[in-house]
Formats: sequence, C-alpha cells, structure tokens
Amino acid sequence: MTSPTKSLFVQDERVKRRNAAEKRFHSYGLCAIGVAALALVVLLASVLANGASAFRQTYLMLEIPLPAETLDKGGDRDPAAMASVSTFGYAPLLRDALVASIAKLNIETTLSNKDVGDMISKEAAASLRNQVLANPDLVGGVIALDVLANGRIDGFFKGRVTMESAERDGNTSPEALRVAQLLADVGVLVTRFNWQFLTAPDASDQRPEAAGLGVAILGSLYMMLVVLVLALPIGVAAAIYLEEFAPKNRVSDLIEVNISNLAAVPSIVYGILGLAIFINFLGLRQSSPLVGGLVLTLMTLPTIIIATRAALKAVPPSIRDAALGLGATKMQSVFHHVLPLAAPGILTGTIIGLAQALGETAPLLLIGMVAFVRDYPAAYSETAGLFGEAATALPVQVFNWTQRADPGFVERASGAIITLLVFLAVMNTVAVLLRRRFERRW
Amino acid sequence: MSPLNLTASTLAIVAASVTAAAARDNVQVAGSSTVLPYAAIVAEAFGENFDFSTPVVESGGSSAGLKRFCEGVGENTVDIANASRAIKSSELEVCAENGVTDIVEIRIGYDGIVFASDIAGNGFAFTPSDWYMALAAELPVDGAMVANSNSNWNAVNSDFPDQQIQAFIPGTKHGTREVFEEKVLLQGCIDSGAMDAILNLNGGDEDAAEQSCMAVRTDGLSVDIDGDYTETLARIEADANGIGVFGLAFYENNTDRLQVAPMSDVVPNTASIASGEYPVSRPLYFYVKAAHLDVIPGLQEFVSFFVSDEIAGPDGPLAEYGLVSDPELSKTQDAVANRTLLDVM
Amino acid sequence: MWVVELFSSLPGLLAVLALFGLLGSQVRVHRAAKGDLRSLAALPRAHGINAVLSVLVPAAICFVGLSLVKLIGPRLNTAALPDYVVYWTVLTVAVLGCVVAILRSTVNFRARQASEVWIKSLLIAASVVAILTTVGIVLSMLFEAMHFFQQYAWQDFFFSTDWAPNFRGDSSLGFLPLLWGTFYVSFIALALAVPVGLFAAIYLSEYAGPWMRGIAKPLIEILAGIPTIVYGLFALVTVGPLLRDYFAQPLGLGGSASSVMTAGVVMGIMLIPFVSSLSDDAINAVPQTMRDGSYALGATRSETVRKVILPAALPGIMGAVLLAASRAIGETMIVVLGAGAAAQMSLNPFEAMTTITVKIVSQLTGDTDFASPETLVAFALGLTLFAFTLALNAVALLVVRKYREQYE
Repeated sequence: MTSPTKSLFVQDERVKRRNAAEKRFHSYGLCAIGVAALALVVLLASVLANGASAFRQTYLMLEIPLPAETLDKGGDRDPAAMASVSTFGYAPLLRDALVASIAKLNIETTLSNKDVGDMISKEAAASLRNQVLANPDLVGGVIALDVLANGRIDGFFKGRVTMESAERDGNTSPEALRVAQLLADVGVLVTRFNWQFLTAPDASDQRPEAAGLGVAILGSLYMMLVVLVLALPIGVAAAIYLEEFAPKNRVSDLIEVNISNLAAVPSIVYGILGLAIFINFLGLRQSSPLVGGLVLTLMTLPTIIIATRAALKAVPPSIRDAALGLGATKMQSVFHHVLPLAAPGILTGTIIGLAQALGETAPLLLIGMVAFVRDYPAAYSETAGLFGEAATALPVQVFNWTQRADPGFVERASGAIITLLVFLAVMNTVAVLLRRRFERRW
Repeated sequence: MSPLNLTASTLAIVAASVTAAAARDNVQVAGSSTVLPYAAIVAEAFGENFDFSTPVVESGGSSAGLKRFCEGVGENTVDIANASRAIKSSELEVCAENGVTDIVEIRIGYDGIVFASDIAGNGFAFTPSDWYMALAAELPVDGAMVANSNSNWNAVNSDFPDQQIQAFIPGTKHGTREVFEEKVLLQGCIDSGAMDAILNLNGGDEDAAEQSCMAVRTDGLSVDIDGDYTETLARIEADANGIGVFGLAFYENNTDRLQVAPMSDVVPNTASIASGEYPVSRPLYFYVKAAHLDVIPGLQEFVSFFVSDEIAGPDGPLAEYGLVSDPELSKTQDAVANRTLLDVM
Repeated sequence: MWVVELFSSLPGLLAVLALFGLLGSQVRVHRAAKGDLRSLAALPRAHGINAVLSVLVPAAICFVGLSLVKLIGPRLNTAALPDYVVYWTVLTVAVLGCVVAILRSTVNFRARQASEVWIKSLLIAASVVAILTTVGIVLSMLFEAMHFFQQYAWQDFFFSTDWAPNFRGDSSLGFLPLLWGTFYVSFIALALAVPVGLFAAIYLSEYAGPWMRGIAKPLIEILAGIPTIVYGLFALVTVGPLLRDYFAQPLGLGGSASSVMTAGVVMGIMLIPFVSSLSDDAINAVPQTMRDGSYALGATRSETVRKVILPAALPGIMGAVLLAASRAIGETMIVVLGAGAAAQMSLNPFEAMTTITVKIVSQLTGDTDFASPETLVAFALGLTLFAFTLALNAVALLVVRKYREQYE
C-alpha cells in the first residue's frame, strides 16, 4: 500500500488561501458591525452628554404676598376684573418676594432689585397669574410657590455658565451667581427632576428654562397614528398587488420605476404637494397633525412598498406553488402563506419608514407645522375635527431650538432628541418582538 | 378585521373628520425666521394675558410666508405674514390676483447686523472698505480688474493682525445678505475709491459697477451660510480665524462667546442703531389681511398688542431681547388703529 | 339613547348591514345545500365574506367619492352637496350590495372568487395612491416651474455652470454645479454605506448567533432614526475639522472644514441601516437548502455567500441600495452643515459643494421675492431632479432584471 500523496491533516496552498479568505471575510463583517456600532455610540454619547441636563431644572421656592390693592382694585374678587392685571403686573410681586427672601437670609449683595428680579424666569409671572385667577381667594394672603429660576442661573448649576463666562455675559453677573449659590446652600433654590420638560408647551426665546415638549409629543403621536393607520395597510396592499397580481408588462414596470422614484423625491417636495392638495384644494387645516400625517404617509409609502415588495420577492415560489397545489386561490396563498413569511421584511421597512417620518422636518415646513405653538392640540374637537388643531412635532422642536439664540436651548434640543429616540426605541422594540415571532429560515 | 377593511374604514373616518371642519379660533402667522423670535415672544404674552388662543407662529422665511399670505382670503390662509424686508410690487400683484387687496403694513422695529468673532481671538475694528477689500471677487489694480489676492487681514489694513481671512456671511437666501452687500460691500467700494476706478474702467456703467462691487469672492475665504446664526457660531468655534455676521439679538445672547467688532468706530447696540449712527441695520415688518381683522377672533387685539408701548416700546420685552425699537412707533400704532391700507399699485 | 344613535349613524348601519349579509348569505346557502355542504361550489364562510365585502367596499368607495365632491364643490362655485344626499346614497349602495350578495348565494355561486374580486379592487386602489402621488407632485410643481421658465431662459438653467442667485434679480441659476454636487455627495455616501452595510448584513445573517443578531440589528436601525440635524452637527463640529486637519491639509487639498467628503462620510453612516437591514432580510430569506448544497460541495462560508447567496438575494439588495441612494439624494441637513452652501464644480472631494435638494429648500425658505426666478427656480429644480431620478431608476430596473437570478 502506498502512502497517500496528500494528507487531509496538512493544508495545501489552495486550502490555506481559501481559509485565509474566509477569515478575512469574517473580519470584514465584524469591522462593518464595529463601524456601525462606533458611529452609534459616538452619536448617542454626544446627544446624551448634551441633553441629559434638560431633564433637570432649577427652582426657587418663594413665599409671595398677594396684595389686594394691586391685584384686585375693585375688591370684589371678580375674575373678569382681576384678569385686567397682566403678567407685567405680577412680575414685581415675584421680584419683591425674592428680595425679601434674600434680606431675611441676611445675604449681603450689591445686586439691584431689578437684577434680583432677573434671576426669576419670565414664565413665573404667568404661572402665578394663572394660580391667582383660578383661585381668587388667594388674594390678600401669601402663596408658597416653586417658580423657575432664570436660564442662566439654571445653567450655572448645570455647569453651562461659569463665573468667568458670567463676567462677559450681558444677561447675568458673577454676583447673581454667587447669590444663587448662597440660596442653594440654604435650600431656597433647588435643582430637581423636570417633568415639565415633557409636558409643558414650547416657550419663547426669552424663556429657555420653561420650554417643554408637551405639544410636540402630542403632535408627533397623532401624526404617527395617522401614518401607521394609513401607510402600513396602503403600502402593504399596494406591494401585494404589484408583486403578486399585477400583470408583468410595461405598465407594471412603469409603476415600479415610479415608486422607486418617489423614494428619491426630496421630502420638502411632499410639503409642496401637501400645501397644494390637502390645504389649498381639499381645505384641510393648516398646521394640523392630520395634514402632517397625510403628508408623511405619502412620503413613507414608497419606503414601505419597496421593502414589502423585496420581502415578498424573497419568499420562495415553492410556498406559493404548494398552496396553489392544495387548491388555495391566489389570494389565499398570498394572505395565508406568503404574507406571514414576509412579515419580518415588512416590519423592517415599516420601522425605517416610520423612523424617517418621525424625524422629518422639511415636509412640515410648508404646511405650517414648523411653528411656535403653545396650546395643547386635542385629538378631536367640534370645530377642528379629528387631529385638526395646530401642533408641532418632535423634530420640529429640535430644529426650532437649535436655531434659537439663547445657549440654554442647546440642552433642550438634545433633550428633545433623546425623547425622540425613546419614541423610536419603543417602536423598534415592538417591531423586534413581532419580527422574532415571524422570522424563520427554510 | 382584515387590513383591507381597516384601510377602508380609516379613509371613511378621515373623510368624516374633514367634513367637520369649521371656523378657526386662533391667529395664524407665517414668515421670516428673523421676526419669528419677536413674534413668538408677543404671541406667548398675548396667550397669557388675553382670553384668546395663543397665536400659531410659523417660520419658513419671508418668501414662503408672503406666498402663503397671498394665496387668498379665508380660513385656510394665514392672517399675518412676517417679513424681514418690505413686500415687493411683484408680490402685491400676485396678492391682488388672488383677492388679497387690503393689506396693513406694520413696521415693528429694526434688526441690527453685527460682525463678531470668537471671544478668544483677535479683536477688530472694521470700516466698510475693509470688508470690501477683504471679500470682493475682483479689485481694480493699476487700471485692470484682477482677482482679489488678499488672503490675510493685514494685507487689507496694516492695523489688523496677520490672521487669515475667513468670513462666514449669510447665504444668498437670507435677507441679511442683501443688507450686507448694500450697506457694507457697496459702501466700502465707494469709500475706498474702488467705485470710481471701476467706473473709469467700464466707461461709466453704474449698474455693472455696483454688480462688480457686490460680487463676493468664491475661493473659500468667504463661506456662505445657508443655515442660521447658530451654524455661524458653531463654525466660528470650530475655526478660530472665523469672523461671522450675526443679528444683534443673537450676539447679545452670546456675549460670553463672541466679541463684536465696531463698524466705523461705532459699537452696535440698540441705542446706536436706533439713532442711525451704526450703519448696518434693516427694518422688520409684518403684514395683516384687513379682511381677516373682524373675522378671526383675537387678530385685531393681537396686532394692537404687538405694537403697544409695553411690548414694542424701548423698555418692552422685544427691545430687551434685541429688537431696535422704532422711533416712530406711535405712527405705526395709528396705522393699526386706523387700519391704514397699503397702497397696492 | 346611545344605542339608537350608534345604530342610526352611518358606520353603525353599515356594520349592521354587513352582519346581516354575513348571516343571511350563510343561512341561505345552508338551506340551498340541504344539509350536504359538498354540493356547494364554495364554503358558506366564503359566501359570508363575499357579502360583507359587497356591503363595505362599494359603500366606502361611494362615501369617499361623495365626500371629495362635497369638499371640492364649494371651491368650484357649485352648490355644496347636502349631508343627507351622502347619507342616503351610501346607505342605498350598501343595501343594494347586501341584497345582491344574499340573492347570489346559491349552490353554484363561486363566492370565494367573487369575494377576491373585491379584495383585488382594494389592492389596486392602494397602488393607485402611489400613482396619484406622482401626478400630484408633478402638477403641484409644474405651473410654478413654467412661471420660472417664462422668466429665465431654459438653456441657461440646464447648461450653465454658474449658480449665483442674488436679490436684485439678474442671477445666474445654472443647474449643473448642483447636479454635480448631488452626484458627488451621494457617490461618497454610497461608497461608504454599501460595503459597510452589506458586510454588516452578511455578518448578521450568516455568522452572528441569534443573540448578537437580536441585539445588533435593532441597534443599527436606530442609526436610521437619529434626526439628521444630529448628523449635521456631528459633521460640522467633529468630522469636518478632523478631515481638514488630518487629510485635506496634509495632502494639500485645501483648508475647508465643510467638504463633500465630510457630508458624504456622515451621510454614509446614516445610510448603513438602510442597506444592512433590508439586505439582511433578503439574505435571510434565501432558502437554507441552497446554503446546505453549497457547503456539501465543500465551499467555505464566504464562498457560499459570494457565489450563491448574494446572487440569489440580489433583487432585495438592489432594492436596499436604491432606497439608500434615494435618501442620499433627498437629504438636506447633513449637506447644509457638512458640505456647505457654495455651488461649485470641482473634482477635489475636500471642497465645499452643495446639492439640488439643499438649494430647493433654501430657495423656498429664504427671504427672496416669491414671484421672482430666484424662488421659482426651486420648482424647476424639483421637477428636473424628479426627471433625473426617474431615468436613473429606470436604468436600475433594467440592470437588476438583467442580472437577477431566480432560485428555488
């Protein structure tokens, strides 16, 4: 017996080369995952580092006397008469309360009374006025109220404002920060978790400390409902028709090219379309989540259709043939057998489409949703109909806040992004759970 | 229910909701993003102090705002358009075609435009001719137009430090760019005597000479910013040589990061701009549809509130935020009270 | 009483009619079958489904159509359609559908096929939405684009290499530098996103265990959901200066922090999930038998992937790449902050350039006169881009069709 010329245990040149190629290929894959993960970590870290502080806020605990002679000149506690005192009339009360509080604590300061007043947020006067109007009996007494501190004071406790920067800052002074620190030491000034960031409406440029996401969260929620309810069924239905039923001819080619093309249309063009069709032609309300949702639906449809078609295409023909062979109609084979198998791909497409819809600002620009909105939109109202009241959306709030001059809005914008990502993560989790149920190999 | 039935019933619900649409009860404002912060401050105060809904203030630029303003009269159109420039006659024509003929023009104040650089960098004191020499595409040298070769500030003006020219100026979409070209570059062109030199060269064609004065170099030393002032600020912080163009209000909120450059020895602030000493500023406007004044609840009150002394006056919140209040505010208040219409043709 | 109200409202009545049809038709065929279901051409359930659809589909279509007429009517100066007309018409259609469906429920009626006609009509209606969208987009831009071409010579628009709008009119609005910028940025973005995304997809579906796959895939999808402004700021603050200091300046390619490269790289990162997730689904859907066959012949994993799986998954992968390319062309914020706003034609990837989409947005949202060519050019740009991507997609379809391999 002759010894074998080649042992299976000794790799020859070719096998070595093939194994090396295999190793390289494997590491390319790992590298790709690594690149994506690194990018994700860097982006998330920068957002978190900037935005985490938006969820905490600095408050001043004040005891505010409410003199009847300024707040209710008529003396009969008539709400209509009391409403004539504007927020400009309430602001001095807050200022005097803080001045008195500083004096009581024996804090020596060179700050003028106006400078002390500037330590309080401009929002505070409005919230005090609302409290008094809601309960006129408070007038004449003293009310204990936690009011927002000014954005610069708040920034000092979050490290954004320092003594050095305050030196050059026209809107605060080192002395004000020193007083704030002393107030914090005795517990008159506290920094605590800020639910208002998630519930309060947007605030103007002078009040970064009061700005919240309430209206934007509602607006995004309404729009996502519209998009989900419309885009998913329409997109899947269209994809099923095009992939499974449409005759393969020039017309269906045209439709296929047309849909891929719609995916490449810049999103602002959908805004032009929305303005022309939904607002000017159909007469739906401007700035409403309904119009926003419809525009985003049209924008996400191509993504969902393309993803669904790809998923349907990937289901092996044998599945359809087996169903047809057992006497199912074409419709039954699609709905009972092909569609469940294509579900993971459909879900991926839906998630990517919804993520895009959730993060998009440009199409909302021309239909009036990139706006400053303070009133909470109701889901349904007699006058405005379903989702008809003006609202904004989370990406709009991010976009608006990054444009604002006051540096206090930087953390707000990042905080809004964190909220947006939480929204997205929730949607993603649902999709992952569903996908896991359907995912399979054959 | 199958997904298909669901679709059908959803369509039905949407269609039903649409038919329920009725009168709008909030004021709808659209337009310039320069006016937006001021309008938002007023809208917020209005919502707090009146029994009307808070007005909705959209941004999107003067152009888009006026376009939607001119789309017609009715609930589905905006009531007020904010603009960082006066409405043009071609726009008024479109307005009139669509039935928007009665327009009240309201000037709310002035926007100062300032030049600022990183707080840690060198300080500058400019004149318009410095900017012209630094940013012009071509300069007249020895009887011919040659491409601008100044790459460092000390080549422009020997008092300046040896620092690379890196200017961040508003892109051609911004109204600020027009003001910058006319009040800085063109002025500098005239002041430096370049205008005369160009006129000599081209045989007295004034339009062409002005064009040439306002042409900005495109070799990368001047960067157009199509975004907003926060982008300009970020670019300056990423590039220490950068000098940017900002609105006064933006600068006043970021004095800890930016240093402002005086222009012709005048430091920009609300006082120097209101008096006209500081040359680079522009008026801000908004336009109201007279036909909506008695229809949309709160519109008349909002407009009056906007121009009232306690809001738009020199001690009001708008001035505090950086708006240069209009010395002729009382005239504007009269116009609002009398509903003085804009002369259309 | 709310019960009465519910059942006298249109949706309530339709539901009642549908239920009536569902039961009525089933009862009728049961009777007709005389206890022997095998004599029926279709199962009673199919008759029921047919009846429900015969009530709901025509009624819904009728309702949507009439609502549109009602909305649009006043705008065309015709009398508004009164509410009761809509109510009674829809109800009549529904009743008719119900009656006809019940009457047709006989032994020989092929109810399953009949009901599928209804479903198919709904599917067709859904795909018509996509076509209507295209028509709407073209129509909403066409008139303004025509206004533009009345004021500005089309030769200058299509063939000029100079883009310099200005406020006083007399601007040069050449389209070529924008087109070049669009292609350049998209090319760089895809050159990063396609290999990374594809390798990530291959790794996830062929190499990674279920645990890693379960974690990594949704995490990568988060990249698609991060608002583009975050990417834009990342480009502006981090990537731009980095590329300038470590690549552009040492290589002598200029000192601009905003460059095509910056925007392309950052956009590429954003596009990774578009390629990876959709390709992963396509690769995953390749039948296991094909992998097994390949392994049995002695191929390594990578050989199987390259020679067998990728060709089989090609249509899905191409779909993913096309979608990513579409996003790249349509992106605004990353380009504005990463590549700047200067329109120029240059081969140097470290020069600032800009894209068509950016200029559409900036001309529409600027302060220029809205009736002037400087603003109207946005519509012309939009339509031209539309035509361009249409042509590209048509080519892509032909290419995919040529190389597509159908496996079983």
